[in-house]
Amino acid sequence: MAREKRAIAFFLAAAAIFFLLNVGAGFFGELLAPAGLTGWAARGAVAVVLALILTGNVALLLLLPFWPQVIIVWIELLLLFLAFFASFNLSYDFILTRIGFLITQGAFTTIYISLAAIVLASAIALLGALARLSKNGFAYAIAGFYISFFRGTPLLLQVYLIYLGLPQLGFVVSAVPSGIAALSLCYGAYMAEIFRAGIQAVPRGQGEAGTALGLKPSLILRKIVLPQAIKIIIPPTGNQFIAMLKDSSLVSVMGVWELMFLARTQGRAEFKNLEMLVTAALIYWILSAVFETIQARIERHYGKSDHR
Amino acid sequence: MTLQTKVITSFVALALLLPIAAQAGGTLDRVMSTKVLTMSSDPAYPPQSFLNDKNEMAGFDVEVGREIAKRMGAELKIVTPAWEIITAGNWVGRWDMSVGSMTPTKERAEVLDFPAVYYYTPASFAVHKDSKISSVADLNGKVIGVCGGCTYEAYLKKNLVIDAEGVPAFDYKVTAGEMKLYETDTHAYDDLRLGDGVRMDATLSALPTIQEAIKNGYALKVVGDPVFYEPLAVAVDKDDAEFSAKIAEIVNAMHADGTLSKISQTWYGADLSTVK
Repeated sequence: MAREKRAIAFFLAAAAIFFLLNVGAGFFGELLAPAGLTGWAARGAVAVVLALILTGNVALLLLLPFWPQVIIVWIELLLLFLAFFASFNLSYDFILTRIGFLITQGAFTTIYISLAAIVLASAIALLGALARLSKNGFAYAIAGFYISFFRGTPLLLQVYLIYLGLPQLGFVVSAVPSGIAALSLCYGAYMAEIFRAGIQAVPRGQGEAGTALGLKPSLILRKIVLPQAIKIIIPPTGNQFIAMLKDSSLVSVMGVWELMFLARTQGRAEFKNLEMLVTAALIYWILSAVFETIQARIERHYGKSDHR
Repeated sequence: MTLQTKVITSFVALALLLPIAAQAGGTLDRVMSTKVLTMSSDPAYPPQSFLNDKNEMAGFDVEVGREIAKRMGAELKIVTPAWEIITAGNWVGRWDMSVGSMTPTKERAEVLDFPAVYYYTPASFAVHKDSKISSVADLNGKVIGVCGGCTYEAYLKKNLVIDAEGVPAFDYKVTAGEMKLYETDTHAYDDLRLGDGVRMDATLSALPTIQEAIKNGYALKVVGDPVFYEPLAVAVDKDDAEFSAKIAEIVNAMHADGTLSKISQTWYGADLSTVK
C-alpha cells in the first residue's frame, strides 16, 4: 500500500512541477494543438502526460536489479542531453569540417600541457608537503608562503603574472612554458595540502615502529609512510587533475591554440559559436572520463589491502 | 673559495647574464637577419582577422600584415595572444608588430608606438531587428553592450581621446542608461540577438563587423549614421625608432599606390583607407 501511495505522491508532485515550469510547451504543445487543446488546458495535459511517462519509467526501473538500473538511467540521461543539444539547431556539416583540427591541434595541446603540468605539480606538491611537515623553519616558511600565495590568487592572474611579469626581470618565457608553469605552481599548492593531509593521516605508530627497527628516516618515508598515504591521496588528487584539464583553457589568453581557444575562435568567421562550444564540451567530457577511469584503476591498485 | 661563496658568485653571474640574453631593441636588425616578421592578431574579429575554414588566419588586417612583410622581404608569422596582453606593451621581442585594428589612443601611446594609420573604421550603434529604436537619439538611457577597455566603451563613458593625425571631429550623442561590458564585440552581438531588450537594447561596435554579422544571419540592424570614425594604426614596441620609421615608410607607400584601397575593397566592399 505504502508503495502505491508513494507512486501517486511522486506523480502529483511531478505533474505540479511540470505544470509550473511549463516544461516541453514548444514540442508537446505542437503535438497537442490539433486535438483542439490550447492555453491552460494544453499546459495541464502536457504536464500530466510527462508526469505519467516519468512515473511509469521510475516504477519499471525499480523492478530491475542495481546494475541494469544504473545503465538504463545513464542511457536515458544521455539521450535527454543529446535532445537538449539537438534543440539548438546546430549545423553538423560545419562541426564535421572543423572537428579534425579541433582534435589534432586543440585537444592535443590541451592534453600535453595538462600532462606536463600534472607531472610537475605532483613533484612540487610532494616537496611542498614534506617542507610543511619538516622541522626546518626555512623550508616550512617558504612552503607556507608559496601555498598561501598560489592558493590565494586566481589562476588567470598567475598566468598573466608569469607571462607579463617575468620579462621585467629579464626572463622572456614563451607562452606554453608560462602556461605549464602557472598550472603546475597553482595546482602544486593545492596538492601539497592534500599530500600533507595524506601523510599526516598515516598513524604515527607506523613511523615509530620503523624507527624502532632501526630504519633510516628516508626509508621509513619511502617504504612505510608514503605507500599508506597514497591510498588516501589519490581520490582528491584525481579531482585536481580533472580540474586542471579544464583550467588549462586559461592559457589560451597567451594565444596558445588549445581546445578552448579553438572552440572560441573557429566558429567566429561564420558566426557559428555554439557549434564549436558544444563540440569542445563533449571533448573535454570524454577526456575527463578517461582521467576518471585511470584514477579508478590506480585507486583499485592501492586499495588492495581493503578487499576482504 | 668556500662552497658557499662559489654558489653565491655563480648565482650573481647568472643574474647578470640573463638580461643580456633577453632581447632588447634591435627589432629591425632581427627581422632583416632572420627574414621573419612576427605579427600579433586577434583570431576572432571577422572580417579584420579570423581563423578561416582551412584553419588559417585571414582577413583585412592579416592581408595588410602580409603585404608589409613582403615589402620588407620577410616571411609573415602570426601569433594570437589576448588583446590585453598586446595592449600591455613591453613585447620583449615575442612579436614585432600588431596589425590589429588598434586605435592609437593616448593611454596606449604611453606603452606602444603607432608609426602609421592604415585605415579608418566607422563606429555605429546596432539594435535587435525587432527594436522600435530608429535614431541615435532614441538610445539615451538604454542598456548598451560594448567590449571592455575598447574605444566604444570610452565613447560611452565620454572620455574617448584619439591622438592621431586626421581624426574627424565627433561629439557624444548618447548617454547609456546602463553599460554591459564584454570580452569582445561579438559576445555583445550574441547577447543582443537573443531578442530586443532580453539582455540589452543596443551595442556600439565597428560598422563592418556589424554588417558581417548581419550577413551571417544575426537579427540585428544598424541605427543611423556612424557616430565617429576611428583611425586604426599599426602598433610596434617602443624600443626601435628605425623599425617604426620603416613601417611608416611602407604603410605610406601602400596608401599612395592604392594597395590599401584595394585590400579594403576586397574585405569591406568599400574604401576605408581614407575618411569620407
